[in-house]
Amino acid sequence: MRRKDKIVKGGLHYYLQSTSGIIGAILLLFMVVASLCAAFGWLPHNPLDQNVDEVLKGPSGKYWFGTDQFGRDIFSRTFDGMRRSLTISIVAVSIATLVGVTLGILGGYLGKWFDLLITRLSDAVFAFPAILLALAIVSSLGNSWVDTALSIAIVYTPIFIRVARGPVLTAKEMDYIKVSRILGYSSPRILIKHILPNVTAPIVVQIALSLSWAILTESGLSFLGLGTQPPDASLGLMVADAQSLAAFAWWTLAFPSLFITIVVVGLNLVGDGLRDAMDPARRNS
Amino acid sequence: MSLVISNIEKQYKILATGTVINALNGISVTLRKGQTLGIVGESGCGKSTLARVVSGLEKPTIGTVTWANEKIKDKAKNHWRPHHSKVQLVFQDPYSSLNPRQQLGESIAEALRVHKLVTKDKIETRVDELLSIVGLTPDLKHRYPPQLSGGQRQRVSIARALASEPELLILDEPVSALDVSVRAEVMNLLIDLRSKFGLTYIFISHDLGMIRYISDVIAVMYLGKIVEYGNWEQIIERPMHPYTQALIAAMPDHSIIGNPETLAKTLQGEVPDPANLPTGCAFHVRCSIAVGACSERVPVLLEMSPEHLVACPEVKS
Amino acid sequence: MSQLKPLLLVENLGISTVQDPRTLINDVTFEIHAGEAVGVVGESGSGKTLTSLSILGLLPRGVAVTAGSVNYNGMNLTTASPQQIRELRGSAISMVYQDPMTALNPVMKIGKQLLEVIESHEKLDANSDQRVRDALKEVGIPDVARAMQSYPHEFSGGMRQRVMIAMALLLSPKLLIADEPTTALDVTIQQQILSLVAEQRQKRNMSMLWITHDLGVVANLVDRLIVMYAGRIVESGTVKEIFTNPQHPYTAGLLSSLPTTADKSRKRLTSIAGVPQKPWLVGQSCAFAPRCFKVQPECRTQIPHLVGNLEKSVACFHPMGAL
Repeated sequence: MRRKDKIVKGGLHYYLQSTSGIIGAILLLFMVVASLCAAFGWLPHNPLDQNVDEVLKGPSGKYWFGTDQFGRDIFSRTFDGMRRSLTISIVAVSIATLVGVTLGILGGYLGKWFDLLITRLSDAVFAFPAILLALAIVSSLGNSWVDTALSIAIVYTPIFIRVARGPVLTAKEMDYIKVSRILGYSSPRILIKHILPNVTAPIVVQIALSLSWAILTESGLSFLGLGTQPPDASLGLMVADAQSLAAFAWWTLAFPSLFITIVVVGLNLVGDGLRDAMDPARRNS
Repeated sequence: MSLVISNIEKQYKILATGTVINALNGISVTLRKGQTLGIVGESGCGKSTLARVVSGLEKPTIGTVTWANEKIKDKAKNHWRPHHSKVQLVFQDPYSSLNPRQQLGESIAEALRVHKLVTKDKIETRVDELLSIVGLTPDLKHRYPPQLSGGQRQRVSIARALASEPELLILDEPVSALDVSVRAEVMNLLIDLRSKFGLTYIFISHDLGMIRYISDVIAVMYLGKIVEYGNWEQIIERPMHPYTQALIAAMPDHSIIGNPETLAKTLQGEVPDPANLPTGCAFHVRCSIAVGACSERVPVLLEMSPEHLVACPEVKS
Repeated sequence: MSQLKPLLLVENLGISTVQDPRTLINDVTFEIHAGEAVGVVGESGSGKTLTSLSILGLLPRGVAVTAGSVNYNGMNLTTASPQQIRELRGSAISMVYQDPMTALNPVMKIGKQLLEVIESHEKLDANSDQRVRDALKEVGIPDVARAMQSYPHEFSGGMRQRVMIAMALLLSPKLLIADEPTTALDVTIQQQILSLVAEQRQKRNMSMLWITHDLGVVANLVDRLIVMYAGRIVESGTVKEIFTNPQHPYTAGLLSSLPTTADKSRKRLTSIAGVPQKPWLVGQSCAFAPRCFKVQPECRTQIPHLVGNLEKSVACFHPMGAL
C-alpha cells in the first residue's frame, strides 16, 4: 500500500515539474472557484437583473466589466456563463467518457463483429465536423441544457472510443495478457485488472482536452442560438449578443471572449501537464 | 503417452490480401510424462505457433491436442469464470510477459487466489516459497518488473507458471532474450525444477546447443512440418535429414576455432514464403541431395532406426 | 605484426553520459592492424557497441568521449573536424549495423541508395552504375537489375544484410566495423553472411572490427578477440588463446557456460552467479568481483589493468593460470 502512495505522489511530483501544467492548474483553480461563486450566488449583481438606467456602461467601480444593452452586469454574467458552460461541458464529457471508454474497451477486447460495428459507427460520427453534427443533434433534440450536453456527448463519444480502444489492442497482444489467459483467469478479471490500467493515462488526458473542446462547442452552439437560451447567460451567447455592440462597447465582447480563451487554454495546459506526468517514457528521461 | 498432438494444421488468413499462410502443416507428436521434447527450427518454421496451439491460446484449423487424455481448453475464447489448466507457457520476452503495473508478488499471488490453490492465509507464504524455488529472495515480491534484470524477470515468469501447479510446461525460447552469462543459470534452474516437480517440458528454441542440453527427444521443424524426430543423441550425433545436418553445421560453436573454411559449408538460399509453399518436399529448393521427384512427392516421416524418424525418402538408413 | 603502425589505435578511451556523468566505458585500449580482423565480445551494457560507434563519431546524443583518443592511420578522430570524419565514413571506414531495415532508407530504391554512397565521396560517372551492379553481384544478390529497382522492404532480412554489406564495401574501405549484423538472422542465413564476409575480407585484405555477444560467431571469423565487461576490456588475445586458454575468470566462465555440440556428455552447465554490474556503479574495484569465484580482498579495492601483449592480455589480479 505504501508503494502505491509513492507512485501517486510521484505522479503529482512530475505534474508540478511542467510549467504548462502549473499554469493550467492555476487557471483551472480560478475557473472552479469562479464557477462555485456563481453557483452560490456570490456575485456583485444578479446576472439576470436588467437596469434600464445603466445600459451599455463601460467598466467602472460598480460594474467591473461594464453592462450590456439591457443594463445587466457583464462581470456577473461572465462568471455565471462560465459556470453554465463548464457544467454543460462536464456533464457532456462525463457521458462521452463513460460510454466511449466502455464501448472502446469492449470493442478492442472482444474484437470481431462487435469491434467492427463500434469502429464503423464512430467513423461515421467522425466524418462530420463536430459543430455541424452537434448542431444537427441539438436542433432535433431541443434547447434545454441537458439536450445541449447530450448532443455534445454524442459528438465526443467516438474520440473516447478510439482513445480507449488503441491501448486495449496493444495490451491484448502483450505476453502478460496471453499468460493470464493460459493461467485461466476469467475475461472480466483480465479486462479490469490487466487491461484497464493501460487506458487510464490517455483517457485522463483526453478528458482535459475534450473539456476545452466541449466548451468551445457549447459556446458555438449558443452563439448560433441553439444552446443556452436568453435570458440565461452563456459565454457563447454573450459573444453572439455583443457582435453588433462591440464597435462602440468593446467590453461587451472582450470579457466573454477573454474568459472563453482562459478556460480553453487552461484546460489544454492541464491536458499537456497530465500527458507529460503520466507518460513513463518522459518520466524516465 | 501423456501429450498427444495429432495432425495439427494451422492456417492464418490475411484478410486484406486474402492470402493464406500455412503455419503448421500436419504435426503429430507424442510425449511421455516427465520427458522433455525439444523443438528446433528457424523463424517461420511454426515452432511458436505450435506452442500457442498446444497451450490452447490458439485453435488449430485441424487436429487435436490432448494432455492426459483431456483436450486442452480453448483459451482463445472469452471465459466468464476462471478455469484451471495443467498446461502453462513461459514466453521468450521477460519484458512483456509481466504486467509492468503489478508487483511481482502480486503476479504470483493472483494465480494462487484465482484458482484457490492455497487458503487465503497461506498465500503470502506460498509466494515466498515459489520465489525461493526459482532462486529469488522473497523481498523482491514488492518490486515492479522494470526494477528487475531480464534473468530475474524470467525467473518470476517461471514462478508464476509454477504457482498454478502445471504438469506440462511449454518453454518458448526461454533464455534467448537473456544475457549470455545468465542463460546457463536459468537452464540449470529449469533442469532442477523438472526433476523436483516431475514436470514435462516442451522446450522451443532456435539454439541447438540449448536444445541438445535439455531435451530427451528432439523434433526438427521446417516450414510447419517435422522433418526429423528422434532422441537427442540421434539428432545431434547422427542427423539424417539434410536440413538437420545443415542446421547443425551452421550452429555457431566455439569448439572449432580459427577455421574460416567451416563457414563455407552452408545451406544455400532462404526459407520460402509460407504463403506460397514449394510443391512436394518444401525443403527441396535448398536441398543438396534433392532429386527430380522431390518437387512432386510429399515426404512422410519414416522410421530409419528405432524411434528415429526422418521425412526424406532419399535418406538411407 | 606489432612493429608496424596499427591502422586503428584506440587509447585509454573513456565514454560518459553528458548529464549527471555516468561512466559507460573506461580505459579502453586496443589496436587493429592492416588486414587484421578483431572481434569484440560482450553482453548488453558491456560497452562494445559504444566503443564501435565512437570510432566514427556516431555516439548517440547525451553521450560523449571524455578521455583518450581514437587514431586512424595517424589521424586523431576524437579531435578531427566533422568534415574530416565525414570524409572517412563510408570510404575508408564503413559500418554494418544489426538491423538493416532501419539502416536502409525505406522509401528509396536500393540502386539509388548505393549510388548515393558513391556520390557523397566522388563524382558520379558512366561507370558508377556498373560499380553498384558489381557490388550487389559480389555479395550474392540474385537478379541485380531487379534488385536495383527494389525497395528495402521487398527483401528478406538476409538479403537486406547483403545489401548493407554491398553498400559498406562499395568504396573499398580499409576498415569494416560490423555491429552484430547477424544477430537478427536465422542460423543458416547467419552462416551465409559470415562466410560472405570472411571471403570478402580475404579478397580485399580488409581490416575488420566485429562486435557480437556470441562467442561462437567469431570463433572462425576473426584473428584476435577483445572481451569486454562493464565498460572495460577484461581480456584480449588471439582467438586460439582466448578459446583454449582463457585467463580472465569471466571469459572462462562464459566459455564453460555455453553448451557446445562437441561436448558428448550433458554435464551441468557451469554458470556465473549474479548479473552484470552497471559500469558507473563499479567504483574502485574489479567489476567482476561480485560474481567471481576467485575473488580476493584486493579485487574489491583496486582496479585491475590490462597487462600483456597482442597475443594475450588480461585485466585480473588472479588469472586462471596455465592449463
